[in-house]
Formats: sequence, C-alpha cells, structure tokens
Amino acid sequence: MEKANFRTQILTRHLQNHAAESSSGAAVSRAPCLSYAPPEASASFDVSSMRKLMDSHNLGERDWLFNLMVQSKLFNPKLRGGKVFVAPDYNQSMEQQREMTMKRIQYLLDRGVFEGWMTGKGSEAEMRKLALLEVITIFDHSLAIKIGVHFFLWGGAIQFFGTKRHHDKWLRATETYLMKGCFAMTELGHGSNVRGIETITTYDPRTEEFIINTPCESAQKYWIGGAANHATHTVVFSQLNIEDKNEGVHAFITQIRDADGNICPNIRITDCGHKIGLNGVDNGRIWFDNVRIPRENILNSVADVSSDGKYLSAIKDADQRFGAFMAPLTSGRVTIAVSAVYMAKMSLAIAIRYSLTRRAFSITPNGAEVLLLDYPSHQRRLLPLLAKTYAMSFAGNYLKLLYVRRTPQLIKTLHVVSSGLKAALTWHNMRTLQECREACGGQGLKTENRIGQLKAEYDVQSTFEGDNNVLMQQVSKALLAEYIATKRKNKPFKELGLEHMNKPSPTIPSQLSSSTVHSSQFQNDIFCLRERDLLNRFAAEVSKYLAQGESKESAFNASYQLAEDLGRAFTDLAILQTFVEAENSVTDASLKNVLSLVRSMYVLVTLDEDPAFLRYGYLTTGNAAIVRKEVANLCSEIRPHALALVDSFGIPDAFLSPIAFDWVAANAWSASQD
Amino acid sequence: MASTNGETDQVLVEERSCGRIFMLNRPKQLNALSSVMVSRLLELFLSCAEDSSVKFIIVKGKGRAFCAGGDVAAVVHDINRGYWKSGAEYFRKEFTLNYVIATYSKPQVSILNGIVMGGGAGVSVHGRFRIATEKSLFAMPETALGLFPDIGASYFLSRLPGFFGEYVGLTGARLDGTEMLACGLSTHFVQSESLPLLEEALVKAATSDPMVISSIIEGFSHAPNLKKNSAYHRLDVINKCFSRRTVEDIIEALERVSADMKDDWISSTVQSLKKASPTSLKISLRSIREGRLQGIGKCLVREFRMVCHVMLGEVSKDFVEGCRAILVDKDRNPKWAPSKLESISDEMVDRYFSKVDDADWEDLKLPVNSRLPAYAIAKL
Repeated sequence: MEKANFRTQILTRHLQNHAAESSSGAAVSRAPCLSYAPPEASASFDVSSMRKLMDSHNLGERDWLFNLMVQSKLFNPKLRGGKVFVAPDYNQSMEQQREMTMKRIQYLLDRGVFEGWMTGKGSEAEMRKLALLEVITIFDHSLAIKIGVHFFLWGGAIQFFGTKRHHDKWLRATETYLMKGCFAMTELGHGSNVRGIETITTYDPRTEEFIINTPCESAQKYWIGGAANHATHTVVFSQLNIEDKNEGVHAFITQIRDADGNICPNIRITDCGHKIGLNGVDNGRIWFDNVRIPRENILNSVADVSSDGKYLSAIKDADQRFGAFMAPLTSGRVTIAVSAVYMAKMSLAIAIRYSLTRRAFSITPNGAEVLLLDYPSHQRRLLPLLAKTYAMSFAGNYLKLLYVRRTPQLIKTLHVVSSGLKAALTWHNMRTLQECREACGGQGLKTENRIGQLKAEYDVQSTFEGDNNVLMQQVSKALLAEYIATKRKNKPFKELGLEHMNKPSPTIPSQLSSSTVHSSQFQNDIFCLRERDLLNRFAAEVSKYLAQGESKESAFNASYQLAEDLGRAFTDLAILQTFVEAENSVTDASLKNVLSLVRSMYVLVTLDEDPAFLRYGYLTTGNAAIVRKEVANLCSEIRPHALALVDSFGIPDAFLSPIAFDWVAANAWSASQD
Repeated sequence: MASTNGETDQVLVEERSCGRIFMLNRPKQLNALSSVMVSRLLELFLSCAEDSSVKFIIVKGKGRAFCAGGDVAAVVHDINRGYWKSGAEYFRKEFTLNYVIATYSKPQVSILNGIVMGGGAGVSVHGRFRIATEKSLFAMPETALGLFPDIGASYFLSRLPGFFGEYVGLTGARLDGTEMLACGLSTHFVQSESLPLLEEALVKAATSDPMVISSIIEGFSHAPNLKKNSAYHRLDVINKCFSRRTVEDIIEALERVSADMKDDWISSTVQSLKKASPTSLKISLRSIREGRLQGIGKCLVREFRMVCHVMLGEVSKDFVEGCRAILVDKDRNPKWAPSKLESISDEMVDRYFSKVDDADWEDLKLPVNSRLPAYAIAKL
C-alpha cells in the first residue's frame, strides 16, 4: 500500500510538472528531460601508472595499433553521440565478414604489424607479438583468431615441430602472407582427445612420399580455421603407420589450395557453416583422399622417416613424443586466457561507465533518480567481477612471462598453469559478459554496445584448444601425480606451487575480524588450506577406489567432484599469488591502497561464492557471514574508484561503445537521421 | 558596434543583424594572435554565446592572411627573460579559446582567404564551417620552430583521412585551398570574389540552423580540382609510411619507397623531416597519436602540459633556438639539441606528457558547458 502511495505521488508530480510547463508557455524549455552527465572523475590514483601495471608491456606498440585501426575505414568507424566507435559490422553476411577479415589482415600487414612475428628472435619479439594480438582481439575475435591460426598454430607448428629446412622455406613466407596456413588437428570424431584421431599416413619408399588418408567420415578434419575459403597450406595431424606399426600422432605439411585459390587434387573441402559467433573465420572440413606429399614435408624435430622408410626418433617413449607435439597448443591457451581477460575488461568498462551515468528510480518522493552504481545490489553485481578481472589480469601477465621464458624444466608447470588459467579466465569472462549484459538492461542487447555480441563471439573459448572441464581435470591429475611421486620419494614438495604443503597446516581463527580478512596472510592461508586439504582428500579417495580394485582411470573418473574442487583451488591460489606479486612491485602508495582493496575483494568474494569453503569446513557458518558482510563493505569502498579502475584498462573510447559515453546524444532523433 | 578602443582594435567587430563578424586586425603581423587578441576573442565568443540575438559568427582576417599563428615571438621573449609562466598564461588562454570554439553552440563561419597557420587554425578549424579560397595557404609549421602542433591540432590532425594528419603535422607541408577541402580541414571552397556576396547572404538569412547555413555556402561553392602534384594524390604512400610507429620508422619507410622510385615529393618530404627539430618530431607524433584516441578537451589539457615543458626547456631548448633561427636572426639554420632522433629516448619524450613539477603550476582547466550536447564537440 505504501508503495502504491509512493508511486501515486511520483505520478502526480509528473503530471503537475507537465501542467506547469505548458501553462507557462515555455515551449523551448527541455529541462525536465533526462540529460547525459558524464561520470564524475575522482581518480585517487594515477590511471596511467595503473595502466602500465595492467598492460605491463609494449604500451607504445599497443597504442600504435589502436591508432592504425581507428584510422581506417576498414575497421568500420561509426559516429555515435559525437564520438567515433569502431567495431565489426556483425550484420554482414558470413561471407562478407570473412572477406573483411582478410582485408583487415592485408591492411595490418602493409603497415608492418606482423614484422618479426615469425622471424623475430627472443622474448622481446614474443611479447610484442602477444601485445599486438591482444589489441587485435579487442577489435574483433574473428580477426584475432584468423591471425592466431596463421601465426601461432600453423607458424608455431613450423617453428616447434619443423627443422631448418622448414624454417628456411616457411617462416618468412608466413610472416609476409605469401601463403596462408591452417592447422588440421581436430576431427569430427576426436577433439580434446588428440591421440584418438583417425587420419592415417603411410610412407611409400619407392617415390619417397607420404600418403595421407581420411579413412572414414569421423576422421574428416573439422573446425579448421581458414580452411573453408583462404588457406593454401595446412599442418595435418595424423597417425603415422610405418611398416605396419603405428608410431602415434605426427604432423605433415600439405598444400590444400594453389595460389589462385583452387582446391588441390585429392583434397575435398567444405564449409562448417554459420556459427553463433566468429563468423569472420572460415572454419572448414577437410578430407584427404590418399594425398601424396614429399618426404621432407614431415615436421621432423621429434621424429623422422628415412628415405628407405625407417622410423627414427630421438624420443623413444611414445607418451613423451606426444607431449612434445602438444607444446604449441600452450601458446594457444596463453593467448586465449589473456584475451578472455581483455573481454571481461571491455564489458566491465562499458557496464560500469553506463552504471555511472544511468539512473533508475527515486528513493525519495521528490529526489533525483539514483545512479545504478549507487545501488548496493548493483555494486555487488559488478565490482566483485571487476576485482576478479584485476586478479586474472595479473595472472595473465604471469602466464605470458612463464610462456616466453619457458625452459624444458618449466614445461610441466607451464602446461598445468596454462590449463588451469585458460579454464578459469574464460569461464570468468563468460560469466562477466552475461552479468554486464544484464546490468546494461536492454542496451546490452544492441550489437553496437558490444557486450551481447561478445557473448556469442567468445563462447567458443570454453571448449577450443582444450575443453575447460578436461583441462581442469588435467590440473588435478598433475597435482595428484606430483603428490604421489613426492610422497613415494618421501621428499618435500618443490613444484606446482605445492611448497606450502611442506609447512604445518595453517589455522583459521574461529572468529574472523574485519582486519583479519583484509590481511594477505589470512587470504593466502585459507587458499592454501583449501588446496592442501582437497589434495589430501582427492588422493585418499582415489586410493580408496584403487584399493577396491578399480583401475587408475576409473578411480580418477569416480572422484570427479573432488577433482573439480581441487582444480579450482589450485587456480584461485595461483591467481592470488600473482596478484600479491604485482602488488609488491608497486611503490606508489595510492596505487597500493586501491590494489589491496581489490585483492581483498577478489579473495573474499571467492570465499563467499565457492561452496567448498563451507562444505569442507574451512569457514564456519559464522565466519562465512562475516566474509559476506565484508564483501558488501568492500563494494562501497571500491565504488569511488570504479571509474578510474576501468579507465586503467587502457582500452581507447573508440573500442568501447555508445552506452559507455553520451548515450542520450547517441540515441537522439537527429542521430538516427544520418 | 565597431570598436575603436585602443588595443581592442586588434579584433574588429561588426554587428550585422543576427550575425557578428570578427575581423582579425594586425595585418602587418599577418594577424598573428597577440595576447590581447586572444583575450578579446575569448570575451567576444563567451558574450555572444549568452546573447540570444546572435545567431552566427563569422571570423575573418584583414589583409592577405587569415591568421599566421600565435604570437610565439612574444612568448620566446618572456622565456628569455626567465618568465616562462607568462608564456604559459598565454597558451592557457589560447587553448581555452580553442576549447570554447570547439564546443560552441552557434555556427561559426571562418573565411580562410589567405594564410592559415598554427594558432590561426586553432581559431577556425574547431568551428563548424571553414571556407577555403584560391588564396588559402595552410600549414602547421611548428616542428621547424622547435614546438609541436598545438592549439588542439592533435585532435583535428589525427582525424584527417588516413595518416595525412601525421604528414601535415610532422613535415609542416603547405596545403592550398583545394587540398584543405579534399582532406576536410575546410568544409567549403568559394572563390574569393564571391565572399562579399556570401557574407550578405548569410546576414540576410539570419539563422543559426547549420543546415541552412551550409546550403547557403554551398550556393557559392564549387568543387575545384586538386593540382596535379598535390600531396593528397600521394595518400597511399603517406598512409604506408606515416602510419609507422616511430619517426625513425617513418623516415626509413619513406627512404625505402624513394629507393624504389626517384621522386621529388618524397625526397623533399624526407628533407623537411630532417630539417625539423628531432625532439619536436617525436613529441608531435606521440601527441597526434594520443589525440586520435582522445576528445578535444583531453587533447588540449595534454598539449598544455607539453607546451609548458617545451617552455621550461628541461629536455630540449629547441623552441628558443627555432624561434631565433626562423623569426629573430632569420639565418634559417637552427642548431637542434639533441641533434639526432636516436639520442631522444622514450623517457625524454615521456617527460613532455607528465605534470609540471612546480608548486603553483596547474593543469589546464576547461570551462564546463553542461548544456552542450557532446556532438557539438566533434565537428571535423
């Protein structure tokens, strides 16, 4: 009833105002209408220093590339509300989008963006390449994927699996797009389980040729990016049968089109068709009908076949050989994980800017309507995701460094960390996109406002280059293997961040206080406690099944619930540690202050949201209530920094969207008449 | 309302029904913007904004120039006497004027019938209508003076087609009226003999509707042909070379193109880059690149920081040296220091973009005009 009265009051006021206005005859006055007021800037810290910390490397190159894109009509600039925005035209047909992708690549190529991407040496060249790819991702996922397939998958396969003869022939040609490469690994019948692929290659010593064959429909290559329209060459992954013995999966270079774009003999290609997103990438399906390729086309860094048809490999163990083949996929996981964080940044920058300019409902009869972000509930929806995005941004930076500084000793760590982070960061992104879409209301549905479309464009990240669930299980498997090996040797833990298990189990106070929950000691302790306990439980459960006579595999499968919890525990802890490291690298007090708020938010919201803490008793119900209350407090503490925190993402206005700025002007009648 | 009051004669004001005509009136100095002129223009623009009887504004110059730039000679004089801050006040006022013009709610028609350089562009290009004629001569010559394209040029140069803005801003290339029209620096091209009639027509229409004004000007306009050797025909080369990330890369790219084909235009372009202040080139490029991603307000705030650093001369004193060589001694042989692009590090460039370390120095604060829609800002 009270509500009804309140509503009546407001309606009456509207009517009265309207009457007053018309009687005064001031027809030109538009005062009662909503007008756009830009968000109040109240940065308590230096945004450009924060951006340096977040983007971390090659800032000059990044801005240069943003510039290149803004400055060309190819990137579809649109004037909205007095500002220019660039975004692909998703209303184009699939074929048009694919042609635009190629035109954009040509433009970037002509301006030297890809210089050194294949021929550059050292970590500096690699970091530059990663930075530029991130910028490209911010414009369009299709463009980044199309480029990523050519350079990171095709080019990476040549680099890592090939030897000098392949490098001399292909690296420069790849860098200058003399040819276009693709990467034929996935088949209709096998995706994450690469070892199960069915394509078969045999060797003919008389002609010194390999013969590649697709023996059945489930062996057709599927989802091959670039294959449907443009690629001229591919790396084919196939079982290698030599003298009737299967030597496992190997990689071969095969030409699939001539320079004029005609499909080569004995190759059949067809389109994967329209997809929910990424329609600027021409995914195709390939069949090989006993295609003959010269012997030197085997990528022979791991294994080779002599001219008379003998199998030669320095690595005797088939498992290790397979592991060596998987190495380039790590680069894919690194770039996917990092790009997911940039998309979360983009959607949050848009949704938070909108929530700082859009009002809804008055809470007093004559008061102004309230800014969305001044509602505690709206803060709770967006600010924890902002904190997680910060945390994951630091984790992404760490992952990149781990990747470019990889050594043979670090391969296992890199595999585990990249698997866990790829899953965690891409899942986080999808969740953030959905929340931001909803937080923008109807505006979130418009393609021009990016977020809604990004959901479709980035959904694929959860499954390509390794299904997230499978990757998370691999993390738990690796932890378990480490656990068993260490226990067997009776030595301290010294890998995969498990060193904390050498120390006594941390204790969590039975009654948490606000100052305790803000301390990084407590935060680290409770994440370590969870990982340690879950690993112990997981090991115990698996060995219980083993004792019951189950196989290793089925014991592991049966323990999937603990495996899931453990995988999350590992990645959350890894992310926290990279956050703390980043925080320690900062000297500026104002930056440190806001980062510590954000870090606390990251940890406390994780405690609040993951039922594992209550399920296994790391938090008492009383402590869980304290944590929950503290999350709400942190929301209001972070609220004043929200704008500066998203401005620090370093994404130029032109790459955000009209609702991030003057959405009244962008939607004015006059704007619709152009 | 023609003013006769002493110094304010530097801007003549003519009241023609609903229009106001501001005539820059220092013909001997090619109408270079003195401090007095800037103050007067600012005052005039602000009062006309409030005056509902004013529908539109025309800005033009007396004599053979529209306006040849800011009064840098006076600024350098201040710097030499140790008063860089009075120079800073000049630029503060000038940039505020640029901002007021860029965000002005009433149409401004600038008649660019002669020389338009530096500060002259600042009081015209940000406005709604810019009319070029066969006598127009546009340039941003700052890199040859040890300065950088200021007055909000990082905003409008970066919004020219492709990388033409980098070309114009770094080389100081001169553009004629047709080129100005082609690249968008001017909105119309009218033969100078038609200007009096055009003015009459505007006064008679007495409107602030930009569509009406535009169609009136169109009635006097025609589409001239670019001259055969116009730089605008070389947009492909310009885009290819001036899109490179650094000044060094730009010069290298130009030299690579000229190695493939002998070409006078390319060699003179390289020459002008080599003659300009290396420090100026680096900060100018960075400024234009940042400007592309910023609004006019942010551009002016950043340029104000930059110009203060230029005057302070902590990294390089090229501004004083450039003015000496071009404006004072006129030996046209400035001794730049640092003298080479390679010896200017990113950190040195960064300095120009940082806050000025001085207790009473303040960032440029722009007037707030909340009634304005944001789209009033982007006119180019």
